[in-house]
Amino acid sequence: MIAVIAWATCREAVRSRTFLLLLAVYLLGVLMSRIVGWISATDGNVITTDVVFSLQSIMGVLVAVATGTALVHIEIQQKTLYTVLSRPLPRWQFVLGKYLGLCLALVAGQVAMLIIGLIYLAATGAPVHYWLLIAGLLTIVEVLVMAAVSLCWTALSSPLLAAVLGLATYALGHAVHSLPGLVHHLHGTQQTIAIVLASLVPDLGQFAYRNEAVYRTPIALDDLFMRLVYGGLWCALLVVITVAVVRRKQL
Amino acid sequence: MSADAILSFTNVSFTYRGDWLQRVHALKQVDLTVPRGSAFGFLGANGAGKSTSIKLVMGLLHGHQGDIRLFGQPLGDHRLRASIGYLPEHPYFYDNLAVGEYLAYMARLSGLAPAAIPAAIDRVCQLLDLADLKKRMLGSFSKGMRQRFGLAQAIIHQPDLLVLDEPFSGLDPLWRARFREVMALERKRGATLCFSTHILSDVEDLCDHYGVIDHGVVLEQGRLEDLVKQAPLVLTGSGPMPSAAMGNHDGTWRWQFPEAEREKNLAALPAGAQILRLERNRIGLEDYFVARVKAFHAAGKRLDAPAGAAS
Repeated sequence: MIAVIAWATCREAVRSRTFLLLLAVYLLGVLMSRIVGWISATDGNVITTDVVFSLQSIMGVLVAVATGTALVHIEIQQKTLYTVLSRPLPRWQFVLGKYLGLCLALVAGQVAMLIIGLIYLAATGAPVHYWLLIAGLLTIVEVLVMAAVSLCWTALSSPLLAAVLGLATYALGHAVHSLPGLVHHLHGTQQTIAIVLASLVPDLGQFAYRNEAVYRTPIALDDLFMRLVYGGLWCALLVVITVAVVRRKQL
Repeated sequence: MSADAILSFTNVSFTYRGDWLQRVHALKQVDLTVPRGSAFGFLGANGAGKSTSIKLVMGLLHGHQGDIRLFGQPLGDHRLRASIGYLPEHPYFYDNLAVGEYLAYMARLSGLAPAAIPAAIDRVCQLLDLADLKKRMLGSFSKGMRQRFGLAQAIIHQPDLLVLDEPFSGLDPLWRARFREVMALERKRGATLCFSTHILSDVEDLCDHYGVIDHGVVLEQGRLEDLVKQAPLVLTGSGPMPSAAMGNHDGTWRWQFPEAEREKNLAALPAGAQILRLERNRIGLEDYFVARVKAFHAAGKRLDAPAGAAS
């Protein structure tokens, strides 16, 4: 059942206007990235690579937020889930199937972006190496975490609010990465509160390996593994919260 | 609960939080029985509690008090829904899936074997004139087409119980007739039919059982034939006119009286009077309904079923 729902969700998502539009914007951005490289004062290839990979992350997150927020709440508003949930399946399977379907669509989009980006970099003479693939992989994990964040917010609020909260979580998620360097400025209760609040948001900096990858800074295998596990655990936690909310929802 | 009930509500109440967390009593101690193999019409005005009752059965709402039984089992096991086909009120579907894709999706979710799905899709598409639209995206469908598609997805797995929420909404007269045919076919196949409507004639045309709900209270339920008896008779005749009758322009006359007075009035016809037609006044039945609901509001309590009504 989960696979059936996931496949239908994926098909629906990849055909949506938002998905295709953001892919088109990514293509346009990639084509323009070389211009940024030309006008930069430093190594143009490095800047181009950085822009291409940042675009992959930003567009991926936008797709995740736009599609993820539509996933549950709009289904309730438009009653599209009535015909699905009236079938013999528990709600947790519906939520999990929906999330996995969205993940499938996002991974497909991200892989397409990664391939397009790497081909473009190679075509424009920028160095393409193994570390860029690792950066791409971690960006995909970041996007999947953001999809789970959006899914969770949409179960708790309206689509518009969920989109705003999703993007706020993205900004906070990157901000908390720099917290360990700042927290020593705080003392006692303030420090504890800051650490507790920061732990409520996924540390998206864990997946921002892009800048290091551009300079071929290596990442240890166990470090990579831990980052993947960290992402997976956040996804699982957020999906569990979403299931708990949706199970109680009156439709 | 009757032993042969496919669906039953016993003392079911349901309350939800409305605007500003105000408690809304959507259903109040509802007792309702849908006999197996019947065609059950669930009548009530907008907001009476029909859709709420249906959503409870479909597991879309939860937290009711009382006992709801489906196929004799307490509600709660989602597997029971494998034998139900459901058409929601004002159905809406995924815009970016094609007719064939969505039907296959619904069939898989209903537990149909993959090998049986193409034939099932062909069957329902043929029944509802969707065969040429299999590859068309649902986002481009009009309201009436969505309704047709809604019925198609509800019957794709040949359910034992077909629950339709306002199935005739948004349909033109031709499609209303076609829907009736399809519903009759489903019934002939052996499915129990349960649909909500606020149009009495839909129930008269299709059902053998009915229930009336208003403001979350079931006013009455029973066999349709018992309800129909509540409609007054209209006798059209020619020749000498009874004193209580009214003359028509064509020289005939028309006499309306309750079922209970049938024998007495027929015996009291003037000598030489000819009976042309004796039929039920359907408009009178609508009036009867309005009167029942008004009486309910006036009494502020539950009414007894009409004489002779039994489920």
